[in-house]
Amino acid sequence: MEEFKVTIDQFEGPLDLMLHLIKEKELDLFDLDVNVLTDQYIVYLNAMSELHLEVASEYMVELAALIEYKSKKLLPRDDSELNDEYEEDPKDRLVRRLLEYQQFKEISAVLNSMYLERQNLLTRPVAMEAEEWAKPSEEGHYDGNPYDLMKAMQKCLMRMQLAKPIETKYTHKEISMEERELEVRAKLDRLPETFRFESLLDDCRDVPMFIATFLAVLDLARLHTLVFTVDENDVIWFSRGTGII
Amino acid sequence: MSEIDNRETNVFIDVDELTDHAEAPEENAEDVQPAAEEENALQEGRAKAILEGLLFVTGDEGITAEQAAASLDITKEQTEALFDDLMKEYCDESRGMEIGNFGGIYRFLSKAFVHDYARKLFALDSAPKLSNAALETLAIIAYKGPVTRVEIEEIRGVGADMMLRKLLARDMIRESGRSEAPGRPILYEVTEEFMNSFKLLSLKELPELPKFGDNDESRDLFE
Repeated sequence: MEEFKVTIDQFEGPLDLMLHLIKEKELDLFDLDVNVLTDQYIVYLNAMSELHLEVASEYMVELAALIEYKSKKLLPRDDSELNDEYEEDPKDRLVRRLLEYQQFKEISAVLNSMYLERQNLLTRPVAMEAEEWAKPSEEGHYDGNPYDLMKAMQKCLMRMQLAKPIETKYTHKEISMEERELEVRAKLDRLPETFRFESLLDDCRDVPMFIATFLAVLDLARLHTLVFTVDENDVIWFSRGTGII
Repeated sequence: MSEIDNRETNVFIDVDELTDHAEAPEENAEDVQPAAEEENALQEGRAKAILEGLLFVTGDEGITAEQAAASLDITKEQTEALFDDLMKEYCDESRGMEIGNFGGIYRFLSKAFVHDYARKLFALDSAPKLSNAALETLAIIAYKGPVTRVEIEEIRGVGADMMLRKLLARDMIRESGRSEAPGRPILYEVTEEFMNSFKLLSLKELPELPKFGDNDESRDLFE
């Protein structure tokens, strides 16, 4: 049972598992013995369920295809079906998919090393002065999607990370979204007509507070007290909406 | 926090004055009157120095040849030639920085050998890794894009919905219209951020996909 120590988490999906089995059982991919592969695949999935691991449905879909192919092979051949070239032979299709997947699996490793190389090259954020000089965007309403907002949020978090002093000491103080919302409302009086999301963060000491601010702002947007726009540089701009202040 | 912020700003300005003293007034002038001063930038032989300064100022956002050309009021070709010169100069071993051009965006980067020291200085964690699932999905989109979700799922044999959302949120991929296939599914392609993350100037620079044809050589594949 030693080989079953590998868990399903180690595989990126049914095709990855099949490639593993082919390699382990030394099967020839170009003359694939689907029977052996199917048996091994089933043994593997059974071991998985014995270990009470949730076997993802994707593995089951491929299993069904394997069994269908195997059962067809067991049945006496029907000539009329043989001549029917409508569908690609399921075995050819499987081999083609395995080969294609193998390609991308291998190239992923190359891409990963490129990614890691890039991680060693560090950059600095754009000059603070440049951000201060920037004229507020006057593009009016932006009909972006939640992902734009997430992207912009990520950028803010990154900036905060970078601005963090190297050594810090702080006492953790919890602040609820409701409390923060009141604070944000109070801030609105002394902020210009349109302002950046960052202007609300000047007193944020840690990530929970940052998040509370973000949630408070979302709630204010829901109440139409604030209207947000995101410009092409992923900067979040706010202006007052029609809602109650 | 605010005290430290101030300190950082001061340090920042000091460095700015030290390295870019010459063109500091130039930049102010540019802010006020874009066209008048820069017309002579190239003749004055300052264009390259200005580009260097702009690279410094734009930081991780970087700058495209188009943006720089518009700012200096010179042609894109002239700008690219100047950037090429600069890049060569920074290749020199005596420099701790280099200029990267990934996806057409030029950026100042600290050289790879600086990284170990920076890690020590800042007690950095190791860089966030991309999961295999993310890498495979990105590879498929980079090589086959624009590509639909179903096509990606067919290749990987697993659902791609969540992964696509994550990659969209990380700005690694974007939607690029819709396929003509039934249901007009959304097509995905990789972004400049992808190029930046993988050190690519363009998709042409992607390493060649390994070929597993039906020949004798590839039979050794699984040995």
